[in-house]
Amino acid sequence: MHQVVAVKQQQMNGGARKAVFAPVDSRARVDAVVRRIGDAIELGLLADGEQLPGESELAGQLGVSTVTLREALMALRQQGLVTTRRGRGGGSFVSLPEVPGEERLKVRLRGWSTEELRDLGDHWAALSGTAARLAAERTEPDDLVQLRRTAEELTQAADAAARSRVYGRFHVELAAAAQSARLTREQVALQTEIGALLCLVLGDDEYREEVAHRHRSVISAVQDGAHETARELAERCVQDSTARLVALRLTL
Amino acid sequence: MSLATAAAGTAPEVAAAVRSALESVFDAVAATRTDTADLLARVAAEGRRPATVDLAALRPGLHLRLARNELVSGVGFVAAPGLLTDVPAWLEWWQSGSDGDVRPLLLDLDPEQSAYADYTHWDWFALPRDTGERAVAGPYVDYLCSDEYSLTLSAPVQMEGRFAGVAAADVYLRHFEAAVLPMLRRLPGPAHLVNARGRVTASADPAHLAGSLTKGPDFAAVLQRARPGRFRGLRLVPCRDIPVVLVISAR
Repeated sequence: MHQVVAVKQQQMNGGARKAVFAPVDSRARVDAVVRRIGDAIELGLLADGEQLPGESELAGQLGVSTVTLREALMALRQQGLVTTRRGRGGGSFVSLPEVPGEERLKVRLRGWSTEELRDLGDHWAALSGTAARLAAERTEPDDLVQLRRTAEELTQAADAAARSRVYGRFHVELAAAAQSARLTREQVALQTEIGALLCLVLGDDEYREEVAHRHRSVISAVQDGAHETARELAERCVQDSTARLVALRLTL
Repeated sequence: MSLATAAAGTAPEVAAAVRSALESVFDAVAATRTDTADLLARVAAEGRRPATVDLAALRPGLHLRLARNELVSGVGFVAAPGLLTDVPAWLEWWQSGSDGDVRPLLLDLDPEQSAYADYTHWDWFALPRDTGERAVAGPYVDYLCSDEYSLTLSAPVQMEGRFAGVAAADVYLRHFEAAVLPMLRRLPGPAHLVNARGRVTASADPAHLAGSLTKGPDFAAVLQRARPGRFRGLRLVPCRDIPVVLVISAR
């Protein structure tokens, strides 16, 4: 017992002690930057070998301090997603390691606690559920064309990354059909967080079919003006995806 | 906005004022259309196909239109896919920021990377392409360009007799409301404006808020007839040449 306390104190005197007294959200900011850039690399938005903007420019664009950015770049280097070269022509470069994408995504998923995933799913269900309800009130047939096209495209999308992009677009379009700019902006932001993770569950053809089916039933309920049904179906769709992520997280 | 202070009391006067507000935006669209068509004709006369660098010549005009019309928050030319030699798709699009600066819209139009790369199904593109006429799209949530609840007014541009893209201008709904609300409030009954599909575009009637649908009347038919009409307790006054109907409820 005494020993444990002693060890704890020793750690507290070092780096951990500093972390305790760091501004409360600076660690969260590092994580947010790591996730953002890591997701962009996983989704192919940043290509292998592409040079990232300079540190101060990138920090400015992301709205974080250069110190935060450096910590995030260090974490990305540790994950093997970024290499840094010094000197002339140097800088930070995207580097896709040889490990398969799925393995890297699993490493990323491990960065989420089940509580955080559950909370992310709650937020998503709140957004998409409300969007579906409002869309059912405010949509007329011509507004459903885009949603139908997207539901159809999901059945055609070959790889997991493409499926995840189209899945996300469905929920953004649902928020737009609700005529709400705020819900739409929130949904776009949420998709940048969850999009890469969804690749892990959408690779499965059977599940992809199930999601496509769920999307079609949301569209039908919206078209019928069945507000509550539309909301429930949309909620169930995203809750099920989140539950799959949580289940997968627990195996890691 | 000068419209806000205009004395307007009767329904036809309000419909005319709404029309003139949106016609001022169509003026910006028409000027962009003319500039673009002239530019494309010059390029064709040189025996070559246009590239993004040619479209840079549109910028002074686009910046001027953003500065001159308070209702216009975005303006530009959207090329039909395949028009330009150096890129598959392109928006020469400029927006005014809240601080009054003017900046270009830079979109990721690579279909391999963006789920939003294909813009050809949006009403503001598809309507002028399919009808050959100018169009009012929205209100709709514009998650492609501005993240704003918007109206987009557009018109087709041709090159050598073929559809080359659309000239267009964005009006944020909050700006449109600011321009028309004082007039709507002076009408004797609760009033709102709807588009051809019955979607509320601006409203001084708490029972019909912007973005909701006014169900019942066939607004497209009212616009077609171009004459005021009635539906149950509602007075319906079409705005001439603009697909917007003024709806006044009985008190």
